Amino acid sequence: MRGLLANLALQNLGRRKARTLLLIAAVAVGSGALFAGATLMSSIERSMAVGFTRMGADLMVVPDGALTNITAALLTVEPTDLVLDADLVDKASLTSVGRSAPQKIARVEHSGIGSHHDSVDLIGFDPARDFTIQPWLVEKLNRGLQAGDVILGAGRDAPLGSQLLIFGKPHVVYGRLGRTGVGTHERGVFMASATLEALAGAIQGYGKPMPVLQPGKVTGFLIELAPGATSLQARFAILSTLQGVKVVSGDTTLSGIRQGLTSLLDGILVLMIVMLASTALMVSVLFSAIVTERRGELGLLKAIGARRAQVLGMMMVEAMLATGIGGALGVALGVLVMRLYERSLVYNLDRLGVPFVWDDLARTVAFAAGAVVLSVLVGALGVLYPAWRASRRDAYDLVRGEA
Amino acid sequence: MLACRQLSKTYRTERGDVDAVVELDLEVEAGCYAAIIGRSGSGKSSLMAMIGGLSRPSGGTVTIDGTDIWRLGDDALARFRNGRIGFVFQFASLLPTLRLVDNVALPAMLGGARSSASTYDKASALLARMGLRDRVDAYPSEVSAGEQRRAAIARALINDPVLLLADEPTSDLDEQTEIEIMDELMGVNRELGTTLVLVTHNLALAEQAEQIVHIANGVLVA
Repeated sequence: MRGLLANLALQNLGRRKARTLLLIAAVAVGSGALFAGATLMSSIERSMAVGFTRMGADLMVVPDGALTNITAALLTVEPTDLVLDADLVDKASLTSVGRSAPQKIARVEHSGIGSHHDSVDLIGFDPARDFTIQPWLVEKLNRGLQAGDVILGAGRDAPLGSQLLIFGKPHVVYGRLGRTGVGTHERGVFMASATLEALAGAIQGYGKPMPVLQPGKVTGFLIELAPGATSLQARFAILSTLQGVKVVSGDTTLSGIRQGLTSLLDGILVLMIVMLASTALMVSVLFSAIVTERRGELGLLKAIGARRAQVLGMMMVEAMLATGIGGALGVALGVLVMRLYERSLVYNLDRLGVPFVWDDLARTVAFAAGAVVLSVLVGALGVLYPAWRASRRDAYDLVRGEA
Repeated sequence: MLACRQLSKTYRTERGDVDAVVELDLEVEAGCYAAIIGRSGSGKSSLMAMIGGLSRPSGGTVTIDGTDIWRLGDDALARFRNGRIGFVFQFASLLPTLRLVDNVALPAMLGGARSSASTYDKASALLARMGLRDRVDAYPSEVSAGEQRRAAIARALINDPVLLLADEPTSDLDEQTEIEIMDELMGVNRELGTTLVLVTHNLALAEQAEQIVHIANGVLVA
């Protein structure tokens, strides 16, 4: 029986080819825009995650009295003998602070890196909270960062996976950062804070004790503002809550761009939802007309014993078939749009050195499946009301063609 | 077999209520051929629609084989129509996108009581009985109006109904085809014992019936 009703629904679609094709085309455009839009938005968000964090932090919190001479992006703290507690910012629970990344930095000599008297900045960070170092990784080993691994700034040279002796202790070169133009960042040797703390004994053997190498102590924090918060608000909140700290501001233009683009993406999402709703309304209007046109047939089906659910089901299968086909074609259309996008804008961005990170295949396939499923749902929702009304009518009224 | 008690139908229109059928009582014996006659607008089609479970009465009852059909729920009434009543309408009532055999099989498929294979065997046999053995795979648009009406009769018989309702089934046919269609309907009534209720304004057709119900202005005249 299901086969016959499905066949009937399919045949009905074929009766008015122009109308069916227009419906499919409308849904395909909506589905294509949804698929391409969602994939591009997700990719842009990922790219933003890389690109914006490459722009550095919004603020930096360092001990009051620490000398700072930062004119470029806030990517790392600067060497100082002063220290802060590692949980200082977390304990304050400031609403204007989105993320905070603690860092510790030790400027050392005789480390074994470079020539004998070269000073080297060893920078310890928390890999789980960091947002200014790892986004700059341009090459790395095909695994996660481990204890004993180091990441080299762009100004240092050693093959990936090679062994690097620091104060005589072996470390593995895990990755290398891209060029940033920030001296400390380019010359630094980065590692997990625990790896740096493990070097404390060896470092102290060559000079005075360094308080920052103690567990639970950091040189400072890199801060990203919470959505909607301003630099001024965060600065005021930090200074009024935390004692003995100084707040260094980054480039406020970058913070503005980050927050503005986030709002823009939210706006695009709202537009896509509105477009989807309007497609559902269009399907509903169209199927209201189709139901009116075919009320005689629906009445006949009821007269010969079709139950309400069967009438409703047949109309829904018809609508879902059309919008499902439209949804699938839309995905193909979306792929074409993304290919064009890739060949134009992404290519140009790449040439300018601006990173654009496409979503992985699994997420893209999930978006495609989602677009088709949503198209089918739009068809089902669009036809539901007119079909439900028709299914409730007396068969005789429908047979006589009464409105 | 068929009993209507105080059956009424009032249509609400912008110009006020219109009484199509007024407190009508009617009985038809099992296996009988009854003709409902009356002028256009007399209420005979409204009466048939209420008897067939197609239009809810404003008042009164319709009992078929002991079942008060308007006390049944929507789905139960649909099942009752499907299994116990056959319809032949006054218009070409086949679904244009299905072959004749699919159209005939459709009520049985909707009922779901029989297998698809046996349903199609029976549909083909009924079409053969109606002289359409070679038109089984044809679409409605490929056959004549008379052949479409024969296919509609075959469809009405697919579930072995106890009551066959025909609403002016020959009104748009030529005289020869009208005779052939009526022969088929009366043949079903005689040979299968199916109760036949025919709505017509053709007195010549009505005269062949065992029972004539004459309606005027929604009221039983004779």
